[in-house]
Amino acid sequence: MRYKVYGVRIAFLGLFAAAMWAHHSPSAEFDMSKKITLTGTLTKVDWINPHIKVSMDVKGEGGKVENWGLESNPPAWFRRVGVSRNDLAKAIGQTVKVEGVRSKDGSFYGYLQKIILPDGTSLELVSPNAAQEYGK
Amino acid sequence: MRLQLLCLLTAAALVPMIGSGAPAKASASGVKRTADGHPDLSGVWQFAIDLPPGALKRESNGSVSFKSFDPSARRPAPAPVPGALPFTAAPSYKPEFQAKVKELEAHENKTDEVFYCGKPGVPRIGSPRKIVQLPNEIIFFYEDISGDPYRIIPTDGRPHRAGANPTYYGDSVGHWEGDTLVVDVTNFVDSSWFGEDGYFHSDAMHVIERLWRNGENLAYQVTVEDPKVLTAPWTEAPRVIKPSNDPLEESPKCVETDGNKLTNNDHHVQR
Repeated sequence: MRYKVYGVRIAFLGLFAAAMWAHHSPSAEFDMSKKITLTGTLTKVDWINPHIKVSMDVKGEGGKVENWGLESNPPAWFRRVGVSRNDLAKAIGQTVKVEGVRSKDGSFYGYLQKIILPDGTSLELVSPNAAQEYGK
Repeated sequence: MRLQLLCLLTAAALVPMIGSGAPAKASASGVKRTADGHPDLSGVWQFAIDLPPGALKRESNGSVSFKSFDPSARRPAPAPVPGALPFTAAPSYKPEFQAKVKELEAHENKTDEVFYCGKPGVPRIGSPRKIVQLPNEIIFFYEDISGDPYRIIPTDGRPHRAGANPTYYGDSVGHWEGDTLVVDVTNFVDSSWFGEDGYFHSDAMHVIERLWRNGENLAYQVTVEDPKVLTAPWTEAPRVIKPSNDPLEESPKCVETDGNKLTNNDHHVQR
């Protein structure tokens, strides 16, 4: 049953849905049409369940600093794809770029799909079949 | 009288074979055994908690790599498992409770304790991540978003504890039926679910877990009995769990903050 539901989500919501997990449906909290790309200073990495969370300061319009929070997949997920807290936390205080979708409530909150670290390394949540698709 | 005795003895001899789970040939299949002759189930096994599907794409210095993981320990076995009991896809609730199950499922992101970092309990947590098998007890270790529980399961023939408080993981006693470890679990809190999709239960829930060797793998199958709410015991599909080299790691604390941001009842499917 669980995987049938996943299948439906993947089919209808695209690749990002696959990365959203089913802790809650993406449509319950995030607006899938509100893609966000943010560049700012990474200030905090919370390695907590059920979602890791990163915080960053982003200069908005007029130069005012916006304090953004972005959650992502659970720590156990990142652990099993080879990402530790330190892989992100080592960039605290430095500039990072993230991509994701924004919370429906319009707050400075989103779901992180991709992060580009100061050394240029990018980590991106992709579909289970992405490797095969990439090779085609 | 002699015929009756013969029938009785024959039935008594067959019961362990029927209930053993593992096929008779498993005894001679080279399965590693402990000193007391039972199959050795000890070891670290693949994680069985539910995780989002997907993979990680890493781009660094012009190279691209992908890493994913094997979620099979959480899924029904894709092929028949020797020794498994017949199973069905879903439990059968009494007619007067079917609407409640649908209601709980429909509002799962409000009604399910697991969504808010609650303990999944037995059997929802799935198979153990590590098993330590001793002569008179077996210990199951788990990694879970809600914490990292353990269960100490006596196998020395003692009965269930009397007067123990109900818990999410219940009171367990184990015994061997042939090459199958049978864990009998009672005394649950009635607030947990035995499966997602609103599978609530009463204080009368009784769970039977069966574990046996499937080659180098571990086979795991659960039967849930609850005569107060189910029309019949429910046996789930068996799962096959592979051995793992991934050591157990303390799970980070769980802090659920999404609940007040959810704008509808789209249900989650955690485990």
